[in-house]
Amino acid sequence: MKRFLLTLLFSVAIAISANAKLNVVATLPDFGSLAREIGGDKADVTILAKPTEDPHFVDARPSFVVALRNADVLIDGGAELEIGWLPPLLQNARNPKIETGKPGRVIAAQNIRLMNVPGNVTRAAGDVHALGNPHFMTDPIIAKAVAQHIAQSFAAVDPPNAAFYQANYTKFESEINAKLQEWGAAMLPFKGQNVVAYHDSWPYFAHRFAINIDIFLEPKPGIPPSPSHLVEVIAQMKAQHIKAIIVEPFQNRKSAERVAEATGAKVVDFAQFPGGLPGADSYIKLMDAMISRLAAALK
Amino acid sequence: MFEVMFWPIAACVLLPWLLVYLGLHVVQRGIIFIDIAMAQMASLGICLAVLLHLDLQSWTTFAIALGFTLVGAAIFSITGKRASQIPQEAVIGISYVVAAAAAVLLLSRAAEGDEEIKNMLVGNILLVTPNEVWKCFALFLAVGAFHFVLRKNFLLVSFDRDGAYERGLKVRWWDFLFYAAFGLVVTSFVRIAGVLLVFSYLIVPAVCGIGLASRIGKRLLIGWVIAWIGGIGGLFFSFWWDLPSGAAIVCTFGALLIAVSAYVLIRSRLRTS
Repeated sequence: MKRFLLTLLFSVAIAISANAKLNVVATLPDFGSLAREIGGDKADVTILAKPTEDPHFVDARPSFVVALRNADVLIDGGAELEIGWLPPLLQNARNPKIETGKPGRVIAAQNIRLMNVPGNVTRAAGDVHALGNPHFMTDPIIAKAVAQHIAQSFAAVDPPNAAFYQANYTKFESEINAKLQEWGAAMLPFKGQNVVAYHDSWPYFAHRFAINIDIFLEPKPGIPPSPSHLVEVIAQMKAQHIKAIIVEPFQNRKSAERVAEATGAKVVDFAQFPGGLPGADSYIKLMDAMISRLAAALK
Repeated sequence: MFEVMFWPIAACVLLPWLLVYLGLHVVQRGIIFIDIAMAQMASLGICLAVLLHLDLQSWTTFAIALGFTLVGAAIFSITGKRASQIPQEAVIGISYVVAAAAAVLLLSRAAEGDEEIKNMLVGNILLVTPNEVWKCFALFLAVGAFHFVLRKNFLLVSFDRDGAYERGLKVRWWDFLFYAAFGLVVTSFVRIAGVLLVFSYLIVPAVCGIGLASRIGKRLLIGWVIAWIGGIGGLFFSFWWDLPSGAAIVCTFGALLIAVSAYVLIRSRLRTS
């Protein structure tokens, strides 16, 4: 009993000390990385999905519900990216601070014009997102906008530190601006080149760096590669002399390797999420790694 | 802890009793994988609903899924002959793989990402809602009452098939009723707990009960205790070490079964020496 009381006291103490910081939950590691940039040492950031996990399917654990229950701010992608797993978690957490429309809820897609919004959604088009492609964080300029959205939310929830969050945003913004020059220069020689990807996660990246990623190993989003489709992709790649195939950690690398073997192209490991590539644990480092890998493969 | 784990615990207390009872039947009949085959039949029905562009939450979809489960029940009751060269488990296995493969084919045509179907069929006990628990509990009460009223014949057909034939029971029809009710129970529990948990709840407590006792009443009692310990213990571990809840419960069941087997072994050694 004594030990139980001590434990209780201890956990209350932890809870109080934790409350001094802003409790931030990010569904995915890219939002988490931005939240860390903005929140600095004034925010405790919990990231739910692992960087190597498919953001469409995430396995819920008890700590997720606890984290959401105690959250002051929740950052999610929206646009149906987490539709498979976030709604039931929120239902169980029942935290009014992070309901839609509250300052503590950052739905990243909200202020962003999404690409590839389908004219009319039919099941025949595959596992399409009715609201548009939700993989928008791969464009650094959009990432800046999301960072600003996060800074505004932090400032609204924690007004005493508003200036601190704003300063961190300004710093992040200028970092990205400087890096954009660098990345743009690295990709410039490959302007207009075609690249193949496993899943349609890169339209924003392609748009920003002026390459084309319009051929996919999946015949339709979410449908595993079929033999006849791969044959077609191989023919297209040979005809257009495509040199790179982009694969993410949770995708089937084997089918990409098969196609690479048949065409002489290189398989390039990409990741949407910081931590998904070795050594790339922040948003900027991840973009650095991807740009240099892709440039090396296209050379 | 209870804020987060209350409804999962409620589900693990209120729901397994019927599964343990049906598990005794299933183990006795030697048709261990019937639950997975039945669940796969239901999912094939849901895939068809996807192909027909039906709303997945609608009653039509539910009716199609139920229809497919009844087809499964019919197949298993027709093939379960009194004396057959082909073991029932072979038919069950074949039904499972064919239903699973047919679902893959249907989905490749429907061009639907499988996430919605996955959500529909494979529940996560951690995220169970009060509404789901009560609905499932009500269904289990109804099926339980059905089994209780007709228990004599159901038990005879499962535990003494020759006796059932001799008494002139229409064994095939009783089999069909058993499988149909079973399919209903399994498919509704899969939706809140997932395939792994359904399988463990059916088989592990029943096997423990059979190992420790010979009378059905006692076996059932032991099975219930094991099911409660495994479910609540597993949820506790899941919370304590932050593990996926369903898998934690299944592994707890595995550990319980090992403990019970060791106990049975030691007991029989002591008796013979």
